[in-house]
Order: sequence, then C-alpha cells, then structure tokens
Amino acid sequence: MGKIQKIQLNFNLEKHMALIFILPCVIILISISVFPFIYSLFLSLNSWQLATGGAKKFIWLANYGRLFTEPRFWNSMWNMGKELIFGVTSQFVIGLLLALALNRIFRTRSLITTLFLLPMMIPPVVVGCNWRQIYHFSYGPLNYILRLFHISNEGLNWLGSVKLSMPSIIISDTWEWTPFMMIVLLAGIQSIPVDLYEVARVDGASRWQMFLHITLPLLKPTIIVVVLIRVMDAFKLFDLVVLLTQGGPAGSSETIAYYNYLVGFKYFDVGYAAALAYIQLIIIIIIANIFLKFMPGEERKK
Amino acid sequence: MREKTHIVILIVLVVAFALVIFLSPIFWMVLTSFKEKGEYFTYPPVFISRTFDLNHFARGLEIGGRKGITDSFIIASLATLLSMTVGALAAYSLARFRIGGKNLAFWILSIRMMPPIASVLPLFLFYRFLHLLDTYTALIITYSIINIPFAVWMLKGFFEDLPAELEEAAMVDGCGRFGAFYRIALPLIAPGLVATALFCFIFSWNEFFFALILSRSRITPVTVVISGMIGGHEILWAEISAVATMASLPVILIAIILQRYLVRGLTLGAVKG
Repeated sequence: MGKIQKIQLNFNLEKHMALIFILPCVIILISISVFPFIYSLFLSLNSWQLATGGAKKFIWLANYGRLFTEPRFWNSMWNMGKELIFGVTSQFVIGLLLALALNRIFRTRSLITTLFLLPMMIPPVVVGCNWRQIYHFSYGPLNYILRLFHISNEGLNWLGSVKLSMPSIIISDTWEWTPFMMIVLLAGIQSIPVDLYEVARVDGASRWQMFLHITLPLLKPTIIVVVLIRVMDAFKLFDLVVLLTQGGPAGSSETIAYYNYLVGFKYFDVGYAAALAYIQLIIIIIIANIFLKFMPGEERKK
Repeated sequence: MREKTHIVILIVLVVAFALVIFLSPIFWMVLTSFKEKGEYFTYPPVFISRTFDLNHFARGLEIGGRKGITDSFIIASLATLLSMTVGALAAYSLARFRIGGKNLAFWILSIRMMPPIASVLPLFLFYRFLHLLDTYTALIITYSIINIPFAVWMLKGFFEDLPAELEEAAMVDGCGRFGAFYRIALPLIAPGLVATALFCFIFSWNEFFFALILSRSRITPVTVVISGMIGGHEILWAEISAVATMASLPVILIAIILQRYLVRGLTLGAVKG
C-alpha cells in the first residue's frame, strides 16, 4: 500500500523542495539584513545620543537637514570624490594599459598575472601597514629614493601634510586596486574572438583603429562592471584612512566612510550616523542605475 | 599576430617594471620583519637586515598575533561553512527550479552591494541588545550575511553550467531530489564549490571594518590586532611586519590556488573570465 503514498509524498516534496532549499537564505537575509536596514531608516529620523544615554527622539528629517549644512560632511564627501575622480581613473588607465601589455605577451593567464594580484589579495590592513612604513618621513624608503635622485632634498611629508595626505591614500589605494582592474580587463580582452582582429588586419586596419573599433566597444560591458565596482568601493574607503592618517591632519583625508564611522562609533550620535549612511546609499543607487543605463541591452539582464 | 622583437622587449620591460612596483611594498614588509629596531629607524634605510632575526615572528605571535590568527581562523572558517551551506541550497533552488525568477536572485545580490556602514549600525545595536558584542557569534553571523549573497550568486552560475539530465537520470533511478542535489550536483561542481568557499574565507579573513566595530578585547581578529599595534604609542615595526606577513601568507596561497576562478569571483560572476 505504501508505494502509491510514497510516490505522492515524493511529488509533494519535489514541489516544495524549491521553497525549502531557498528558505534558510531568505529568512537569514530578511531577519539580519533587510529588517535592520529598515530599522536604520527609522533611526535616521531620530535624534539618539547613545553616549550620554539619552532617549530616542523623533525629529523627522532634521538629521538630513543637518548634514546638508555641515561643512564636515561636504569635506568628507569631497575627499571621497577625489578618490573617485583621481583614484578610480588612474586605476582604470594603468590597469587597462597593463592588461593590453600582458595580452600581447601572454596568451593565457599565468603565474605572472597572479603575482600582480597580491596587492589586492593581502588584507587591506596589511596594505596600510606597508604604506605606513613606506611613507615614513625620515626613515621611509620612498623619501630615501626622492632624496637619492634629488627630486626633493628634504623629502615629502606624505602623511603629515594637509596637501599630501589624501593623495597619499589615493596612491596606496591605486597600488592596491589597479591589479583588480588589470585582471578583469585582461579577461575581457581575451574573451574577444581573435578572428575579428584577423579580419580587421586583412582590411588594413592599424593597431590603434583595432583598439578603438574592436577592443573598446566589445570591452564596454566589462569596463562598466569594473568601474562600477570600484566606484561603489570608493564609498567604503576606510581601512587605509584608519591605518595611514586617521583622517588627519585637520580632516584633510577624512573620507565619508571614516567620518560616518566616527559619528556612529566614537560620538555615538546614532540617528545622525544612520542619516549619513542612508544618504550614501541613495547616491550609490543613483550612480549604479546611471552605469547600468550604459550597459548594452543584452548584458543588462545580468 | 606576430610581434616585432623590439616591441616585445619593450613590453616585457614595462611589465617587469610594473611588477617590481606592485611587489616591492610587500617585499619591504617581509624584509622589515627581520630587522632590528636600529635598522628600521635609521637613515639611509637598511634594506637587508644584518642580523636576520627570526625571533620577531615568535614575539609577534606573543603580543597578540597568535590570538588574532586563531580568532580570524575560527571566524572565517565557521562563516564560510555557514554561508556555503545556506548558499548552496539557495543557489540550487534558483538554478534548477528558477524560484522567484530573476528578481529574487537580483534581490539577494543587491544585499551585497549595500555599503557596510549602512548595515553596521543596526547590527551593532542588535548585537548589543542580545549581549553578543565581542563574541565569535556576532562576527560569524555578520560575515555570513556578507558572504551568503556572494556564495549564492557564484554557485548559481556553477549549477547553471551543469546539465540537468544527470540529476534527472539519478532521480529516475530512485534518488530523491535531495539525493540528486547532494550526491550528483554537489560533487560535480566541487571545483566551483572549493573556489567559492576559498573566496568566502578570504573576504572574512581580510575584513576590517565590521571586525573593528564588533570586537573589543575578548575577540581580536588579526586585522584588528595589526591596526591596534600601529595605533600604539611605540610602533614595533618588525613584530608588526612579522604578524602582517603571517596574516598574508594564507591569502597568497589561496590566491595561487584560485587562479582560474579569480576573475569570476572578484566580479561576482559578472565577468566569467
């Protein structure tokens, strides 16, 4: 008798299997990711000084009003913007050039490409620790080289001057993330069919023309993906700031992520910190949508 | 396309130069870990230590390194295990049953895109309420919710690359759906499974932001230990470099193992490489 029942049971199980399989994931993500996230939106409408043990007070959009008039917020956004403009751009340009160079001598990815990746694989804290030594004013190897070649006889105060602190962070960040651009762009370049270039060559196209009319257009989806990933990462620029400058001197290298951290976990101004985070989230969503608009239709579905 | 010799030489030189730039800071760190105090606080800088003191590794472990590496290992392993289990089930459901269509999959992915600063605040309050601050549990849960969307998205790709016929055949032979998943599909994507797990491990191992906020003194992941040493008022560069070298070694090994999957993993499967 059991057989028919068993088949019936199996059939029902099969139907529910899809649900059972996905349930743990959805429950976990909703309960410890989505729900807190909505709670955070509520927090951003409150004034809550956790340090002094004050109670939550609902203040509508006052936190948002406050951040728009606060110079420190704009300063930290601008510092993050510098990373966006100079950091991501140089990472992209150097990464693309290296990818093109590597593509010419190596047909497949090899150990050499993996060696290039070490800067981005090692913990970011270690990267900060390395550069802290390299930038050291009196004993660092970088100033030693500058003095050796008489580029600057005193050496540059990389981390301790208002002018150079942010550029120093951007240089370290570029060192860390150019390899990422390089490897992904290289993968994109190598996925372009070789016969396209053959045909173009038969038609007498120059290298530059091939690059402009074959490589770049076919690389476009890859470019959009890597640049978007790095743009979103710019908002997270935190580790290097902590390790190298702590935002100083005089706030000259305070990025939005670091400022947000200070407001939330040093000043414990919880409501305001939540508002800062939400503003970033909104900007990120807008940027991501603009980028995806440029995605060719076929790829956009991903 | 044949290249002219002088162009090849030029390119090789450029690549070699770039490689030197990208590797020398790491070499500098390894070299510093052997130096005496007088050697890293001196001008002109000493490149190769005369004494080559290996004791800094032992001392680095003593002053927090051992605890840091152990804690990071425990947290990263358990977070990987948890996110892989949950992720594999969900990925299979998305790939085979197409549950929730594109929207559900995309929703899961979008959770990973959220800036960490936006999620850390409610999580902090949540753990504080449950008295979970400064525990393994808090960091394991946190890293799992970062890694689950990644694992789902990666494994979904691997399952989709796998023809469904094999599992169907197994089910005709009396294997249940779970059996088909566990006995057929999982072993077949083993390389992808390993690659995804290693990525989850690296993300958790390298993570600093959540670690800094959610840990105090009982739990000290190695990234927090290193940053704490630099914040101290006397900076022991040799010991710090020794700990940093030890913290980088597992990741470097994993990167070499992962070679084939790096691009896929680093772009969440957006570029298959």
